[in-house]
Amino acid sequence: MSDMTPSTPQTFEPAPTPKRRWRMSRRGFLIGVGLVGAGLAVGIPLATPWARLKIVEQFEASGAPSTLPDAPFAWFEVLPDSRIRLYVAKIEMGQGVHTALAQIALEELGIDRADLEIAQATTAVGPLDTFGTSGSTSVSAAYAPLRTAAATLRELLRSEAARQLQQPADQLTLAGRGFTLAGGTQSIAFNDIFANHSGEWEIPEEAPALKDFRDFQVIGTSMPRVDVPAKVTGAAIYGYDMRLEGMKYGAIARPPTLQATLKSAQAGTAANLPGVHTVVIEEGFAGVVADSRSAAHAAVAQLAVDWEMGKAWQQDEIDALVTVGAGDAVTIQNEGNAAAALDRSTTLSVEYRTPLAVQTPLEAQAALAEVTAEGVRVWVSTQLPTSVRELVAAALGVEEEQVEIIPTYIGGGFGRKSGFEVAVEAARLAKAAGVPVHVGWTRSEELRYGYFRPPTHHQFRASVGDDGRIQAIEHLQASGDVAAQFLPAVMMAVMGADFGAYRGAMVHYAIPDRKTAVAHHALPVRTGWWRGLGLLANTFAVESFMDELAHHAGKDPLQFRLDHLADDEMGQRMRAVLTAVAERAGWSTPAPEGRARGIACGRDGGTVVAEIAEVSLDATTGALRVHQVTAAMDCGLIVNPNGAMAQIEGNIMWGVGSTLMEEIRIEEGQVAAGNFDGYPLLSMRDAPQVATVLLPSEDGKPRGVGEPPIAPVAAAIGNALFALTGARVRQLPMTPERIRQSMANG
Amino acid sequence: MQLKINGNVVEVADQPETPLLWVLRDEIGLTGTKIGCGMGICGACTVHINGEARRSCVTPLAVVEAADIRTIEGLATPNADGSLQLHPVQQAFIDEQTPQCGWCMSGQIMTAAAFLATNPAPTDDEIIEAMGNNICRCGCYVRIKAAVASASQQIMAQQPAAQAQAV
Repeated sequence: MSDMTPSTPQTFEPAPTPKRRWRMSRRGFLIGVGLVGAGLAVGIPLATPWARLKIVEQFEASGAPSTLPDAPFAWFEVLPDSRIRLYVAKIEMGQGVHTALAQIALEELGIDRADLEIAQATTAVGPLDTFGTSGSTSVSAAYAPLRTAAATLRELLRSEAARQLQQPADQLTLAGRGFTLAGGTQSIAFNDIFANHSGEWEIPEEAPALKDFRDFQVIGTSMPRVDVPAKVTGAAIYGYDMRLEGMKYGAIARPPTLQATLKSAQAGTAANLPGVHTVVIEEGFAGVVADSRSAAHAAVAQLAVDWEMGKAWQQDEIDALVTVGAGDAVTIQNEGNAAAALDRSTTLSVEYRTPLAVQTPLEAQAALAEVTAEGVRVWVSTQLPTSVRELVAAALGVEEEQVEIIPTYIGGGFGRKSGFEVAVEAARLAKAAGVPVHVGWTRSEELRYGYFRPPTHHQFRASVGDDGRIQAIEHLQASGDVAAQFLPAVMMAVMGADFGAYRGAMVHYAIPDRKTAVAHHALPVRTGWWRGLGLLANTFAVESFMDELAHHAGKDPLQFRLDHLADDEMGQRMRAVLTAVAERAGWSTPAPEGRARGIACGRDGGTVVAEIAEVSLDATTGALRVHQVTAAMDCGLIVNPNGAMAQIEGNIMWGVGSTLMEEIRIEEGQVAAGNFDGYPLLSMRDAPQVATVLLPSEDGKPRGVGEPPIAPVAAAIGNALFALTGARVRQLPMTPERIRQSMANG
Repeated sequence: MQLKINGNVVEVADQPETPLLWVLRDEIGLTGTKIGCGMGICGACTVHINGEARRSCVTPLAVVEAADIRTIEGLATPNADGSLQLHPVQQAFIDEQTPQCGWCMSGQIMTAAAFLATNPAPTDDEIIEAMGNNICRCGCYVRIKAAVASASQQIMAQQPAAQAQAV
């Protein structure tokens, strides 16, 4: 039995290379000569034509810190051992983005998977990404520029190798970590090509030809995820895991209600408690730095804090704010004249509601900050490092260039880690205490002090002709803010509507008169990003209503949808996924005894997805049980099929949880739930089996995967419940109580 | 106080009521054990105490002073060359590509490993019962279940005696 020395703090240095320094070449490219390591790097700005490709290299000499004139989206480096490193700004939060980007790069580089290293960029090292990792856009946006950059690096090295070997470039074949001459008489490693080079690099006059997607060998395969091995051994480091020598722990005084503000604070007895390092009281902010988390929290509880309490909001008051008719609506879809048609004749008129819900990733908000004379470093679980940098700089009164945000693995994002609070808290405490400070939120803080999926209210009217076709449809929607909480007011004024709140709200069926009007509201409870934004709530409403209309018209819900699809590209793709999911789930055959099936579909960006849920009711508890969800998705070209299936599975679990149980309630001005006992999450006991069908790509364009599959889940389940019981539950979550009520009301 | 963690003895100076989780993570630096809820609901902090799965966030040091504590970092077996021989459950979680964000996975794997040690050939319902109190917010349940079943097969294949007993 050996002694184990406690605590050599781990450090997490995802980008071990010194900061980049650049200069502009006479040809207008970023170019230079690296003298240490292997500095050849090729970067390309996102969605930028070939002419602006930047060729960049690492400088040994000191100089101004890296400030890129045009921040590249991604770049490659040749390492001293001739492996190639790809810096990516996108954050790995379980969606497999590092793997997908590696596959895209490998496809054009032509090197072995083992010879490509993926490195997480920080705000100082590697490319900058001001968009953040969200919106199911990482792969589709990177697809073209990343392939171009990879192919350019390959050809750059090939032409230089040819020059050095005095052989024609077309006689050089990429092999291992270098090139081999036809006949195998000579070979040269990537790093030797770099080391033997002098002068400027020759930039190819034309963009290298990219592979046709039908010839792909890496893209389209289920390459194992690059992050998984570290996640089964405990080696993966997340923001909550970050440690530095001499670090302390911080806790912050939290307002007792949603709207409470700090009037004043004094240290009280907190400063004298054991383990307390520093009590920090600043404008609107009171916290403690201590030797341990428990000491920090114990001391925060002893601060003498005076709150301006604000109004003690109740749930029904918030619901009333989010009601169609309250506030100005913006018409986002208007074809024909639905209002006039429906004023003349309405067949069916119903409304739906969805509640507040919370992302509550299992890793709560966490950051470690170090503030020194040289600058500020923050290791943090974040989806949006550039925003964190801006806010930390503002909070500390320093220039953004002095702040480096170092993203770690994220223990679940789902929109919540686009927030920045914890990084600012850690930075303020670290500055005041003069030591590195880690702040990790408790579950109670995570449930109460972030932002929430907004409640929504939906009113529908429709008229159905004798032919069983919908003549006119109107969707009036009200929602708490989503994007409006985060974007500048001027931008929202220009846009009018909140794109996050109305995501999924439009009616895409071919109906002559159709209208969608939406209103968004700032609520006393902060609302914002959540997986898929408004997609789940809006699709629940639209697709439940479509089901109601189908039954009203006496039509099969699948056939009714097919009958109303537009004859355009999206309509055809939707037809394919509806048909595929029906076939896979056995739609035309009876469900097992005691069960019924429901169908729904949704679209988001260019992705279409259809799902069928098979449900039963527990005779004892009255609880809805979802046995199986079958999904068919067309997301265009799929980079990693197994990864896409994993995203479908995860989205379905999110959808099932939201449908069965997730609801945040406000009581006496505060979020009622203080932990998972008050906000239960789906467990394996309630998890359905999942079957997935991925439709083959027709056009070679990748589209979003991480959120679209959440769209139809709630509607498919509700539609199945109706098929089973004849009861329509128009409010999420579909609790046993609401199901009983609905059944009693017939 | 002395703790025996992953076969090593470590001296800590904490109060006996301090939860094991924070000692593991913040003092010893074994951050593979995660924090989820702090009240024993979600299972992210699961470790083995004398081979049994326990929630370290609600386990005071006092009750583990003389115990064998095993964390995710100690689940694999080192090979002679320094590489790790993964536990069959860890290997199965890789084979099934189970983790997404990964934050709950140490707890899932430790729960599954302790469970399979007592029931190496479980039914599907027994897997659900054993794993039903470990939350995965990413919703990896399909693959967690598949991985536990797959690990069970590997373990049974490695243990003919156990197989015979189970039959």
